[in-house]
Amino acid sequence: MQMWLQILYRSIALFIIVLVATRILGKRNIARVPLYKLVSYYAIAVIAVLISLNIVKEVAFGFIALGVWVLFPLLLDYLSLRSKRFHDLINGKETVLIKHGKIMEDNLKRTRLTGEELLRELRSKNAFNLMDVEFAVMETTGEINAYLKSDKKPVSSHDLGIITAPQAEPQTVILDGNALNESLASLGLNKEWLNIQLENMGVSLDNVFLGQVDSSGDLYLDLFDDAIELPESKVKEMIYANIEKAQASLTTFALETEDDSAQAMYDKNAQKLKQLMAKLNPCLLR
Amino acid sequence: MTVASQVKQTLAGLKSVQGTLRIYSTQSQDEETVSIYKEALETTQAVINDLEKRVQVLEFQEPQYRGN
Repeated sequence: MQMWLQILYRSIALFIIVLVATRILGKRNIARVPLYKLVSYYAIAVIAVLISLNIVKEVAFGFIALGVWVLFPLLLDYLSLRSKRFHDLINGKETVLIKHGKIMEDNLKRTRLTGEELLRELRSKNAFNLMDVEFAVMETTGEINAYLKSDKKPVSSHDLGIITAPQAEPQTVILDGNALNESLASLGLNKEWLNIQLENMGVSLDNVFLGQVDSSGDLYLDLFDDAIELPESKVKEMIYANIEKAQASLTTFALETEDDSAQAMYDKNAQKLKQLMAKLNPCLLR
Repeated sequence: MTVASQVKQTLAGLKSVQGTLRIYSTQSQDEETVSIYKEALETTQAVINDLEKRVQVLEFQEPQYRGN
């Protein structure tokens, strides 16, 4: 066989083998894998190249090496899943770099990290001021994570004491002008529903690049034609405003009427609506 | 506008609110939200019942404005 043909066949075959091998090895972020895995990725790549360029004369030898570099990480993964001690032995343990806002110089030295490097890593976590950091740890992958002091953390609605309505993830129901039946079905909706919604908004399915349904069942569209301005859905705000209006009217009726029992009824219902507004506020306005 | 027609207007507004709430209670994905909407439906229904009764009384008192 001619040399170039041989290299062509080998390269194609090895490309497919390596593809399968990396799929088996898992889909973890390459920056977050333990070092031994990174090394085995490189080893697999180098061995594959050596075999495909015919530098390894005996193909079988090449495949033995390749097999070891693919199977060993898998074996280590399996053993780490089974035993915590083995996991720590292979992956090491995370190192605490800052505790109670104070840098642990000994640990810093052990990880061979300089002060500048630590500061750079913290800055990348948006902690520019060392004073703001309560706790920082170097993960086994070498990544540094910081926990900010409680008064420097971003404010959440919980901190502000605001009740927000629980929200599930939105579902994409239209992509590139095609309705996605699967995600529609998972919401308990169908194409007819979608058609009615699109008709209400006055757009055709072909013109929609992306459509998402949020957990309250409202449809949000992005059109191919950006010149068309879609009205933002204000239905929830409208409901709230209408309840508010009804509540105000009931209060007025209560003041105007001369019938005592009617007055009591109006007052009672106005009160009911007021409580309802407080309850619906997180669902309708936020 | 007579009192009866004012009350009727409020009643109509509440009924439309109830309709929209019913749509949201069926299409919401989160169970907690659904239960809030269901509760809201019950409350509005109670208010609507009371108002309907009141409209009957008012129409009885002012029969000349019936149907407005």
